[in-house]
Amino acid sequence: MSIIIRGARLIDPSKQLDEVTDLSIKEGQIEAIGDLSSLHSALDIDAKGLILSPSFVDLHTCLRDLNQIQKGTIASETRAASSAGFTHLCASPDTQPCSDSSSVISLIKSKAIAAGFCELLPVAALTKDLKGTQLSNMEALSRAGCIGFSNASYDINDNTVLLRCYEYAATFGLKVLVQAQDQQLGDGHMHAGATATRMGLDGILVIAETLAISRHLQFMQHTGVSGHFNQLTSAAGVALIRQAKAQGMKVTADVGIAHLCFTDTVIEGYRSQYHVQPPLRDESDRKALLEGLKDGTIDAICSAHQPHESAAKCAPFAATASGMAIYDILVPLVQSLVDTGDLTWVQAVQALSSNSAIIALGKATHLTVGETANLTLIDPGHQWALNAASQLSHGTNQALTNQTLKARVKLTIKSGRVTYKM
Amino acid sequence: MSNLAELQLTKNGELRHFLTPEGLDRAMLERILDTADSFVVVGNQEVKKVPLLRGRTVVNLFFENSTRTRSTFELAAQRLSADVLTLDIKTSATSKGESLLDTLQNLRAMHSDMFVIRHSDSGAAHFIAEQVTPDVAIINAGDGRHAHPTQAMLDMLTIRRHKGNFEPLAVAIVGDILHSRVARDQIHALKTLGCKDIRLVGPHTLMPEAINSMGVTTHTHMNSGIDQVDVVIMLRLQTERMASAFLPSAGEYFRLYGLTTERLAQAKPDAIVMHPGPINRGIEIESAVADGPQSMILNQVGYGIALRMAVMSMAMSGQMQQRQAQASQATSLLGEKRP
Repeated sequence: MSIIIRGARLIDPSKQLDEVTDLSIKEGQIEAIGDLSSLHSALDIDAKGLILSPSFVDLHTCLRDLNQIQKGTIASETRAASSAGFTHLCASPDTQPCSDSSSVISLIKSKAIAAGFCELLPVAALTKDLKGTQLSNMEALSRAGCIGFSNASYDINDNTVLLRCYEYAATFGLKVLVQAQDQQLGDGHMHAGATATRMGLDGILVIAETLAISRHLQFMQHTGVSGHFNQLTSAAGVALIRQAKAQGMKVTADVGIAHLCFTDTVIEGYRSQYHVQPPLRDESDRKALLEGLKDGTIDAICSAHQPHESAAKCAPFAATASGMAIYDILVPLVQSLVDTGDLTWVQAVQALSSNSAIIALGKATHLTVGETANLTLIDPGHQWALNAASQLSHGTNQALTNQTLKARVKLTIKSGRVTYKM
Repeated sequence: MSNLAELQLTKNGELRHFLTPEGLDRAMLERILDTADSFVVVGNQEVKKVPLLRGRTVVNLFFENSTRTRSTFELAAQRLSADVLTLDIKTSATSKGESLLDTLQNLRAMHSDMFVIRHSDSGAAHFIAEQVTPDVAIINAGDGRHAHPTQAMLDMLTIRRHKGNFEPLAVAIVGDILHSRVARDQIHALKTLGCKDIRLVGPHTLMPEAINSMGVTTHTHMNSGIDQVDVVIMLRLQTERMASAFLPSAGEYFRLYGLTTERLAQAKPDAIVMHPGPINRGIEIESAVADGPQSMILNQVGYGIALRMAVMSMAMSGQMQQRQAQASQATSLLGEKRP
């Protein structure tokens, strides 16, 4: 089927492209770009005022399948991801059972294929069962399609084991992804600051992040492994990555959209929907994350999507599960940053698509003729309300429920096929 | 802040839950103290009962051990003529959330009018008042390290009865501020009641992050901390703090932060000494001070019953008004729908 999208603002930072024009798709590829008024198609979209970009690639998400289907399934969450403009998802290895064997990897990949919304780029467990004691079969897992290795939110306490992990990954040129938070100092429920103190909640100091980043950077430098840091939260963490990049290290980093938009004060009143790990920090950290994104220290924005059933969030704050369901609100959150002047759509596309695709797939998807048609069409002015009827994720742990939101994905196209249509 | 007022008060500004003094204004805190003052007299009468809560059911839900707080709440409810049920509920870490929800909904179905709740998680009482049983009056009897409002307010009652006006007073709170739910509420209450010089004294390991944002000064040395203060509040030091590396030893703690007769001389000559109890003699306080003329420790216990009677009667009355208002609203809505 051929598709023509007319009059959209085409944004492709990898090609310095930002212009209003038409684009057509045929046989899974971008057929033409430019004035296409003479062409006609069955699916002809008037896209004036809309933004057309290469589709998004998520560097960190939890899809909950296989054994946590009360929270979400691969079918439900990849569909929600597609409604947020994603076509490729790096799934976190903390699945149940854990993503430490080729059979689990092939099972989750095949479930995603059957659902048909997004391609999974699984991140496998760095150690067996994420226990931090025994290496996973990294080489086999890499052949099964894993794009990298991570111990998810479980720190590896034993430096000897961690050294072996890095050495083994270096042997086969594999990427290591890190959620940098020291396990002991990270034993809290929110950012250690005035709000945590007043509410009597256990705080997590920034040093929990910086200690872990420094530690992993040393192993990356020692072994030459190319490393990626998921979900930076603090100004001091950004500064460490900036320094490492200045020294020429092969390191990349992302930030969760929630950390760019919210600070610890939103938890006031024990609002458990903002209970996330790593924690939301203060305004100076949020500003530093935005700054890091603009100056290229932070390469990408990830969703850090973590759906939960309502019971998981219905308890005293410390007893609630951490994590936020993000897919339904990701594009409105980006738009809110654009509206406040904190970000431009060009920067957002670079972070959600061009850079994250390079990190996950080795190359960016471009808006050029002959390229596979992986596209996201966004209506930045569309007003809508998030409620039980409009939400696609199974997770009930959304922020911004029943509020008027601005911006929504109108169309997501993967390999020329429409995977989501508003 | 305003959310906390909204949650704890009826539309007419009456108390209906008591979760923390934070968010309540000075007039409300003074009303609580005035009401408590009137109940202090009841405790001195031959017949100690008043019929304010007759026919009402108060359930004491203690998810965490406490002998002293629990028994004063029981006595307070009995002196108000309420029917009292006390449940000691041990929580397992895994089923905490679910069992809490289920337990409360079951008790509510038994037409309970008030829950007095002690729980190890900060925000537990807040969660219950907001999301589980908003139509049952909730009295927070201590949640995690967040709040213990009746203890803080009985301390305010003690200070007011023995020192009068809060405005000119200097108050030092000494010890394990980090783990203390009482300290946080004392700070809120003291500030709201007009106290301007609030000092926290302790080592960095027991001082919470960014505590200065609450409008207090912090001191690492006892001598500067209690210099010329009118009130010294000593906090209980849990012995497990040594095992978890907050402190090297009880001996060192007593040497640096223990309240001795000699140290107390740094404070004003008529300074009073308070402690929420139970006291650790020789760890945070010397026996001579605890039993000395400046000690208010036993007065506090007596005031505790009066203060709890005050809060329980006020919250019950507010909650009943709210229920009646909702009921009459519902009837009038029904009336309108009829042709």
